Amino acid sequence: MRKKPLRFVKLLLLYGALILFAIFMMGPFLWILSVSLMPGKNVFSSPPAILPTFIDFDNFVQVWNYMDFPRYLMNTVIIALMGVVMNIFFSCLTAYPLAVFRFKGRDLIFTLLVATMIIPAAAGMVVNYLTVKALGLMGGFLAVVLPSAVTVFNVFLMRQAFMGMPHELRDSGKVDGAGEFRIWLQLALPIVKPAIAVIGLLEFMAMWNSFLWPMIVLNDTKQYPIASALSFLNGQFSYNFGWIAAGTVISVIPIIIVFLCTQKYYMEGVSGAVKG
Amino acid sequence: MKKFFARFGKSEASVAWLFMTPGLILLALFVFWPIIYSVPLALTNYSVIGKTEFVGLDNFVKALQDKSFITSLLNSLLYVIVVPFIQIISILMAILVNSNVKGIKLFRTAYYIPVVTSMVAVALIWGWLLNQNGVINYVLTNVGLMKEPITWLSNKDTALWTLMFITMWKGLGYYMMIYLAGLQSVPKDLTEAAMIDGANRAQTIRKITIPLLKPYVFFCTLISLMAAIRVFDEVFILTMGGPGDATLTSSLYIYQQGFQQFNFGYSSALGLIVSVMIGALSIVIFRFNRKGGVNPY
Repeated sequence: MRKKPLRFVKLLLLYGALILFAIFMMGPFLWILSVSLMPGKNVFSSPPAILPTFIDFDNFVQVWNYMDFPRYLMNTVIIALMGVVMNIFFSCLTAYPLAVFRFKGRDLIFTLLVATMIIPAAAGMVVNYLTVKALGLMGGFLAVVLPSAVTVFNVFLMRQAFMGMPHELRDSGKVDGAGEFRIWLQLALPIVKPAIAVIGLLEFMAMWNSFLWPMIVLNDTKQYPIASALSFLNGQFSYNFGWIAAGTVISVIPIIIVFLCTQKYYMEGVSGAVKG
Repeated sequence: MKKFFARFGKSEASVAWLFMTPGLILLALFVFWPIIYSVPLALTNYSVIGKTEFVGLDNFVKALQDKSFITSLLNSLLYVIVVPFIQIISILMAILVNSNVKGIKLFRTAYYIPVVTSMVAVALIWGWLLNQNGVINYVLTNVGLMKEPITWLSNKDTALWTLMFITMWKGLGYYMMIYLAGLQSVPKDLTEAAMIDGANRAQTIRKITIPLLKPYVFFCTLISLMAAIRVFDEVFILTMGGPGDATLTSSLYIYQQGFQQFNFGYSSALGLIVSVMIGALSIVIFRFNRKGGVNPY
C-alpha cells in the first residue's frame, strides 16, 4: 500500500519536469506566435503579452502582401531540392567504392576526407566565393548549392550504410552478368534507402535554414531563400514587430511540418550517425 | 609505373575511380582547394582594391599584433565553457524522456523543435525576449531575482554569456536525442541484475550507465566543442561582435576581414591560423580519448 502514493508522486515530479522543459524549449515559439496574432500589440509591452487576448491575422496578410512570400518559399524549395538531389546522388556514388571495393589508396582518400571536417567554415568562404565567381555562377541558384552539393559528412554516413550491405549481393549480381553500375543502382541503393532518407532530410533542413552564403552569392534580393529574406526583412523593418513576427512564423512553420512528418527517419538518422 | 597502370585497368580500381570522380571533383573544388589556395593567398595583400603583391609572412605577423584578432580567439576559447553545460543539461533531458510514460514522444518532439528551425528565426525571437523591455527582464524583475532590467545583449559583461545561452538552447534537443540513443543501448538486464545484486540506483548509474554512455559523451563533446569554437550565425545576427569587441569570435572576424573589409589575403591568413589551432586541438582530444581506452566509433 505504501508504494502507490510514492509512485504517484514520482510520476507527478516527472511530468512537472517534462512540462517545465517543454515551456523552456517551446515557450519562445508560442510567444512569437501570439505576438504575430495580435497586431498593434508591442513586443515590449508591460506586462508582456504571453497569451493572445485576441486573434487577428492582419500581420500575416500585410506582410504577405508586402513581401513576396510565395516567391521566397519557392526559391527555398528549389534550392533545398537541388541540394538534396545533388547530395544524395554524389554521396551515394562517392561512398559506394569506399565501402565495398578494394583498391589502392582507398584508406588514404577516406582519411583525407575525414580530416577536412575540422576546417572552420568561415575560412573556406573567401576562396569558395572566388571559385564561384571564376566559374561564372554568381547570382544563380547553382552558386548557392554547388559548394555544398556533396559534403564529407554525407559521404561518411553513406559509406557506413554501404558497409552494412552483404558481400554476397554484389557477387550474385556479377554472376547474373550485371555491370558494376547496375549492381549499384538496382541492388545496393535499395538497401541503403533509410540512409538516403536521412541525408535527404538533413540537407533539406540545412538548405532551408542557410542564410549567409545565399546573401553572399545572390545579387538580387528577389532570389533569396526564406531565411535570408527574413534576415533582410529584419534589417528593413526592425521597428515593425508584428510583421517580423508574422514573417518568422511563416518561415518556421514549413520546416516544422516537414520535421513532424519525417521525424521517425530523422531521429533514427541522428542517433545512427553516432553508432556508425 | 607500367605495372601500376596494367593493374589499374584490370582491377576494381578503375571502376572505383569512375564512381568517385564526380563527387571528388566537387570536394576537391570546394573543400580541398580552399585549404590549398588559402596558403598562397595568405602570403599576399590580395584585396578588391590596389595591386596584389607578395608580402611574405606579413599577414601572420600582423595577426599576432592584431588586438581584435587576439580578442576574437579568446572569445572563441571562452565560448567553449558552453560545452559542459550542454552535456549536463542534455543528459538530464535524455534521462527524463527515456522514461516510458504517456505522451513522452510528444515531449521529445517539442524539445527537438529548436534544432530544426533556422538560427535567423531563433535569434530574432531571443533578441526580443532578452531586450531591455523584453519578457525575460519583466519576469526576472517581477519575481525579484533582479532589481534592474539588464540589457543582456548590449552589455559587454553579459553579451557573450547570453549568446552562449542561445547556442545552448538551440542545440539541447540534438544532443538529447544522441544521449537518448545511448541510454536505450544500455541493456536492461544489466541494470536489473545489478539491482538484484543489491546495488542502489545511484550505483547502477555510476557503474553501468555512465561507462556505457562514455562514447556518446565523447561524440557530443567533440561535436559541440567544434561548434562552439566555430560559432558564427548567432553572433552575426544578434551582436555583430559588439558591444566593442565583447562578442567578436574568430569566425566572425575572419568573415569581417574577408567580406566587409575585403582583405582576402589577411582573412585567409587568419583562417589558416584558426584551422591549425583547431586541428591541433582535435589531435590532442583524440589522443587523450585513446589513452582513456574508449573507442568512439
